[in-house]
Amino acid sequence: MIQFKNFSASFGGRKILQELTFSLPANSITSIIGASGSGKTTLLRALCRMNDRIENFRVGGSILVDGMDVCRPDTDVYALRRKVGLIFQKPCVFPKSIIDNVVFGIREKITKKDYPDLAEKVLREVFLWEEVKDRLEEKATTLSQGQQQRLTLARTLAVEPEVLLMDEPTSSLDPKSTAAIEKLVQSLKNRHTILWVTHQHDQAQSIADRVLVIEKGQVLPLSAPIVRLVKPFTKAG
Amino acid sequence: MNAITAEKMVLALIGGVTFLIVALLFSILGVMLAKGLPAMHSGFLFDASRDFGRSGGIFYQLTGTLMLMAVAVLWSLPVALGSVLFQTEYLGAGKFKNLLTQLTYILNATPTILFGLVGYIFFGVYLDAGVSWVTGSLILAVMILPTLQVSIREAVEALPEKYRETGMALGLSRPTQIWRIILPQSFYGMVTGVLLGLARAAGETAAIMFTATTFSGIQFPQLFSDPVPTLQTHILVLAQEAANPESIAQAWGAGLVLLGLVFLLTLAAWAFRTRMVMESEL
Repeated sequence: MIQFKNFSASFGGRKILQELTFSLPANSITSIIGASGSGKTTLLRALCRMNDRIENFRVGGSILVDGMDVCRPDTDVYALRRKVGLIFQKPCVFPKSIIDNVVFGIREKITKKDYPDLAEKVLREVFLWEEVKDRLEEKATTLSQGQQQRLTLARTLAVEPEVLLMDEPTSSLDPKSTAAIEKLVQSLKNRHTILWVTHQHDQAQSIADRVLVIEKGQVLPLSAPIVRLVKPFTKAG
Repeated sequence: MNAITAEKMVLALIGGVTFLIVALLFSILGVMLAKGLPAMHSGFLFDASRDFGRSGGIFYQLTGTLMLMAVAVLWSLPVALGSVLFQTEYLGAGKFKNLLTQLTYILNATPTILFGLVGYIFFGVYLDAGVSWVTGSLILAVMILPTLQVSIREAVEALPEKYRETGMALGLSRPTQIWRIILPQSFYGMVTGVLLGLARAAGETAAIMFTATTFSGIQFPQLFSDPVPTLQTHILVLAQEAANPESIAQAWGAGLVLLGLVFLLTLAAWAFRTRMVMESEL
């Protein structure tokens, strides 16, 4: 369960998110839609403290992930980021082999002989195993954009996060790869709480159990016209 | 005057200046080759000098120069790398970071003779290292520190932010990110920095002339307190004090070798830099 309580974020005096209060149930997919600059990405990044390096970025209120306040200064950010994984808009693979990319975030915690089993497990989860099983030692940069995005998802899954934050993960992909990622996300819902930022209303409706609309740093009230996009939570698997 | 005429004049001006620079470089190279090549013989690089530099080769001067350069980089590299990582990975953008950057540039512009003077007083006299290769390498290390620092910082800062963000998003600690992402991904840039630092060390003469080197009496230092023969001292002493043409020819030969060394290092640095740019564009 993720809870935002009066959460605000600002950059250099400019308010980006204002007094957000809402909850997201565990093991669900929530789509976040909104215009460019409305604060969608900031919301995701705040959840895993990715803006800590940015000077003049300030937050107020709290965000609780399973009861842990991620905004507290004494929060173990490294543990938090392993618990709350972030997938970026454009896939970023390291110029290393496919298998090295898969185990990149977990390498210190497992032995080398465990690499193949872990790689197979997470690559199967993202429906990439059959495409790469014979070339695990090849450079990951040789994969297509869609394959790279699934590889980055596999790399994140290898760290075993409970929450997956996806920042427009299909915006740079072709329709076939987009469909593959959407199908994949549905399959991950049983074990992960997923937040999916998108610009596409159709996509938001089709994949999510719940749609949140952010405008000018605020979540639109349910009485707003956009309520037609919100599916009853119980209907979606 | 219309815009096209003005453009042609500017083009002619900057083209002329470029030609002047290239011509200057090639004329230096031409003179060095014309004067230095006659001194080259089969044993020039591998024989010891004889008759106070009048005959023989420059083996010990060359090894002494390489030794001073290499040891200076060994002293300087950890300091430069540490300060770069502190600046880029731990300090946020702000006044203190800018101050550090400006200080590095000021250090880079300091006259080298001042490094020699202050370095000798501190290392040679205060730390009692005397006129020795240790004193010289420490002074050279301080002198090449800004070159190394700037080159390595540029390499680390050129690293696409997406790599750092990916490491962060996977929950890697900062030291792990440095070890697993920053250092490997900016490796070629660092090698470029080291090579430029070596080239700078090879080109420095004034600061080590009276603090570390000797013309004769020692071939290869046996003790920490021994001075070391170098190409720079060899060239200077032969050019200033020798009257016979054989010695002058030997000085030109040694000069050509020193120039070749700097050229090689710079070319290698350029090759690595090209590789670095390609990697960062992946």
